[in-house]
Amino acid sequence: MTDHAKDARAQDAPTDAAALARLPRRPEEPAAPVQSTAHTVRLKALNAFYGDTHAVKGVDLTYAANQVTAMIGPSGCGKSTLVRCINRMHEEVPGARAEGEVLLGETDLYGAGVDLTSVRRTIGMVFQKPNPFPTMSIFDNVAAGLRLSGTKRGDLKERVEWALRGAGLWEEVKDRLGSPGVGLSGGQQQRLCIARTIAVEPDVILMDEPCSALDPIATLRIEELIHELKQRFTIVIVTHNMQQAARVADTTAFMLAGELVEHAPTERIFTNPDDDRTEQYVTGKFG
Amino acid sequence: MSPDARVHFHDELRRVEEQALGGLDLVVAQLDRVLEALEHQDVELAAMVVLNDDLVDGRYLEVHQAVLSLLALQAPVATDLRTVAALLHVIKHVERMGDQCVNIAKLIPLSGHEPPVRGEVLQRLLHMGRSARSEVTQAKTAFATRDVALAEDLVRQDRAINRVNREIFQIAIDIGTDPDTREWAMHMVMCARALERVGDNAVDIGEQTAFVVTGLFREFSDATHPV
Repeated sequence: MTDHAKDARAQDAPTDAAALARLPRRPEEPAAPVQSTAHTVRLKALNAFYGDTHAVKGVDLTYAANQVTAMIGPSGCGKSTLVRCINRMHEEVPGARAEGEVLLGETDLYGAGVDLTSVRRTIGMVFQKPNPFPTMSIFDNVAAGLRLSGTKRGDLKERVEWALRGAGLWEEVKDRLGSPGVGLSGGQQQRLCIARTIAVEPDVILMDEPCSALDPIATLRIEELIHELKQRFTIVIVTHNMQQAARVADTTAFMLAGELVEHAPTERIFTNPDDDRTEQYVTGKFG
Repeated sequence: MSPDARVHFHDELRRVEEQALGGLDLVVAQLDRVLEALEHQDVELAAMVVLNDDLVDGRYLEVHQAVLSLLALQAPVATDLRTVAALLHVIKHVERMGDQCVNIAKLIPLSGHEPPVRGEVLQRLLHMGRSARSEVTQAKTAFATRDVALAEDLVRQDRAINRVNREIFQIAIDIGTDPDTREWAMHMVMCARALERVGDNAVDIGEQTAFVVTGLFREFSDATHPV
């Protein structure tokens, strides 16, 4: 399935689960501070499999509302898989399945009757490589999700501006909203994708290596943006860059071979971790 | 588990640690010289101690720069970060201890070539000096081997130094009315104070050892309740 198609599906009808059924609220004014809609996400005994391969092993973990949680660990430790379980993307892989509970507030996202597309609208995702819709303008890239969710034409402009301001991109693109999104620089494209994600006002934003394709300055801009976004959203970021985790995250979770080894305030992880395996990983004694 | 992924960094960190702890050897050499100068009222040797402080100061600058480079270029974390931070403290204490040796050395010529030496003061002072020297070498061993028990033992030695320091002070008060003797005794009180501070710096290095090992900083003895 293409990203475009996925996105279209993600804007489908509301779920019957009350917590997921909210329609995006229209902000009072563009760029005005918005009351937090962030929710706590709790993983309970989460297991994920690729066929016979047990990729995530019984993880219990709470992502606090309005906080940034970084997931670190060596390649193949299961951190991306775990994050993809949160918005049920994992099960899109042939042969993949997940067990356990992912609670958004009190709603089990793996419970009966939960609508997948609503899950993915409530829990937005930003990918490693910026993926603006190639044939669309900057404006339409942000407006696409809004149109599918039924936002009226008259409100669109206001909402697009709000999202672009929220993603720290408005001042750079306000005079060329009709230009193709793919004409932007890598860092700008990634912020465009963030604008597209926040336009529909999710509760949670998952970021899977969002800066790994960006230059250092663009990376720092995204990191600054993450600090601002956490006022409104719960953020989970997967990163291989431990310094990035140290810079942006309130708490950091270290995974190894599918297991959660340690989850603690970031400062503690990088100054005095409890577990020897965390210590060895962050100091480069293995990895 | 694969081997160390940061071999170059850990080699460099070890090198900087050796450089910093080597500063303590310089301090021991300075202490030996200044105690000998004190014992024999050797003004020339005292002048050499003053000159040699450049070596200690130079070591401070080297380690300070190396620590800045490690922080800027290698972004150390966890135990590595604590070690780097502790080395910055260690080398500062090295520099301070070097200065205390200079303070003593500068007092030696003030008493002239034949001062009115009182044995009960000088012997206590030399005893303090040997104890301070022992503390410095023990602080080095404790840090190098990450031996918290050995580091904590520095407090015991330091209490002995403090006790002798107070004795010298009391003797100086009671030393009589001869102006030359009183002046000499005042100088010895200042020397004792300098040696007492060397001991304190050694204890501070011990506290850094415990910090590196445990991740928690705590003072070994409470200054508000001196013993």
